[in-house]
Amino acid sequence: MITISNLDFSIAGRKILNDISLTIPSGKWSCLVGPNGAGKTTFLKVLLGSAPYSGSVRSKGSEVFRNHNRNVAFVPQQPQIPQGITVAEYVMLGRAKKDGWGNESQASRGFIGEILGLTNLYGMHKQYVSALSGGEMQRTLIARALAQEPELILLDEPTSALDLHHQIEVLNNLQYLQERGVTIVSTMHDITLAAMYADRIIVMQSGRVLAEGGADEIIHSSELRAAFDDRINVYTLDSGRPVVVAKKDGR
Amino acid sequence: MINVRREKESGIEPIWNWQITAACALVLLFVGIAAISFGPINIAFADIVRTVLGIHGGLSGQDRTVLLDLRLPRVLLAALVGAALATSGAVYQSVFRNPLADPYLLGAASGAGLGATIAIINAHGDVYSLLPIFSFVGGTLAVLTSFFISGRFFAEPQSLLLSGIAVGSFATAIQTYLQQRHSSSLRPVYSWILGELTVANWQIVTWSSIYILLALAILISISKQLDGLMLSDEESFSLGINPNRLRIIAVSAATLATATAVSASGLIGFVGIVVPHLVRGITHRVTNRNLLTVALAGAGFLVLADLGARTLLSPAELPIGVITAFVGAPFFLVVLRRRRSAS
Repeated sequence: MITISNLDFSIAGRKILNDISLTIPSGKWSCLVGPNGAGKTTFLKVLLGSAPYSGSVRSKGSEVFRNHNRNVAFVPQQPQIPQGITVAEYVMLGRAKKDGWGNESQASRGFIGEILGLTNLYGMHKQYVSALSGGEMQRTLIARALAQEPELILLDEPTSALDLHHQIEVLNNLQYLQERGVTIVSTMHDITLAAMYADRIIVMQSGRVLAEGGADEIIHSSELRAAFDDRINVYTLDSGRPVVVAKKDGR
Repeated sequence: MINVRREKESGIEPIWNWQITAACALVLLFVGIAAISFGPINIAFADIVRTVLGIHGGLSGQDRTVLLDLRLPRVLLAALVGAALATSGAVYQSVFRNPLADPYLLGAASGAGLGATIAIINAHGDVYSLLPIFSFVGGTLAVLTSFFISGRFFAEPQSLLLSGIAVGSFATAIQTYLQQRHSSSLRPVYSWILGELTVANWQIVTWSSIYILLALAILISISKQLDGLMLSDEESFSLGINPNRLRIIAVSAATLATATAVSASGLIGFVGIVVPHLVRGITHRVTNRNLLTVALAGAGFLVLADLGARTLLSPAELPIGVITAFVGAPFFLVVLRRRRSAS
């Protein structure tokens, strides 16, 4: 569980996160939704511990900032794609914290083989990551996160670069992790998908949290509509699944 | 047994290839012996071994002086400078995520050039004892100024690059102004800029080896973590690295090596770019785990270039910078082309 109280974050005098207090439960999938510029990515960086904040963000009783004792995986929206490194080696970087940089253990090598199978990367493990398509790169990033065996995995728009089929494939991989007790926090622009997969939804706008709670409850809330200036419609399909679409010309 | 098979299947061979490192060490040894042997006076291998080890029957008189006071320090200095420039080049390239970054990027070269010019203008008599100190101070000051101006250190690597360029141009402008005012100093400054190892003596070898070997030891010891800088800062943080601290350590050590190399031997271009890319071309790896290989290859490359500088127009001598560019540039293009067609 991560307990956040009175969290503020500013860059050059501009407030990016404004007085956020909430808890993120362990073993659940929490999803941050809100318009561009709401502070979602910054919030993920704070949870990772790489960004200096004021207020308190505590995990297992200690502040997360520069706390290297936690094992947190981070999947960025736009990764730096290195040259001259293969898929298998890239996924192996995920073991760096456990084994020490450059000292991959024999056990890790076996483990990586399993992960490559799980993420359908087995055939392409010798390809350079710089030659992968968007969907393959996203799966490689997820594979590296799996290799970390993290307690918490943070994902910034894990599906935004993917077609519908690959979106589901990646999200299913994440669900597999969650079923094994890993806490997931992701941002997602596709609120319909967020409602399908996440346990909890956190609605953000202009650096503030407008609402948070169970996905079913939040998706029909007025705060969600308010976050998008009432420019979305929420429908419910016959199957009971909610669908969120943008309004056009006010309708 | 199962593990071995699996390892092969998942394609995770060790990234660092010790055979290539060993081959580079052998080449360096071979090239080193050749460089000590050949010159206006050729010395037999057996005589070199006897003289260096102090065994009876070694060289005496002029040959002994040539070997011990001229050739040996010169070859050692070439090896040290080559290793320093190649390794710093490789490190700058990964820290700034820019394949064209070279060790002179942050103003080290121009600052050292200014320092050397000031030394040459003001010195009466023995310029060469002052020159290394002035150029070392100049180079280090220029890099520190670049850091200071860019302000937030590595928050934006690009702004550090730009301030390095600005500081470099400023130093070069002052240097040119000073040169024009003291036109008698033009020639020594010019020959220094082209790089020279002719001044090598045991004193220079001793103090430069201290700084360069220290810097190389630091860089090689952090070389595995440097791979983390290929990723975004958040990713490398999540993998247990403090990216900014790592960058500061890496750039400081690389700058120490560069400033020492520049002050010992002037500006020798192209080594810092060609050698790292050459090693990458051979190993098909961008990883920093090859840093030791890069250092050995850089040493071998510069020793060979110096051999060429001494012997091609013998008894006259070519500036070594001319050789490194003459050999380096076409070689570089071949590697670049091969890499492009490979990917």
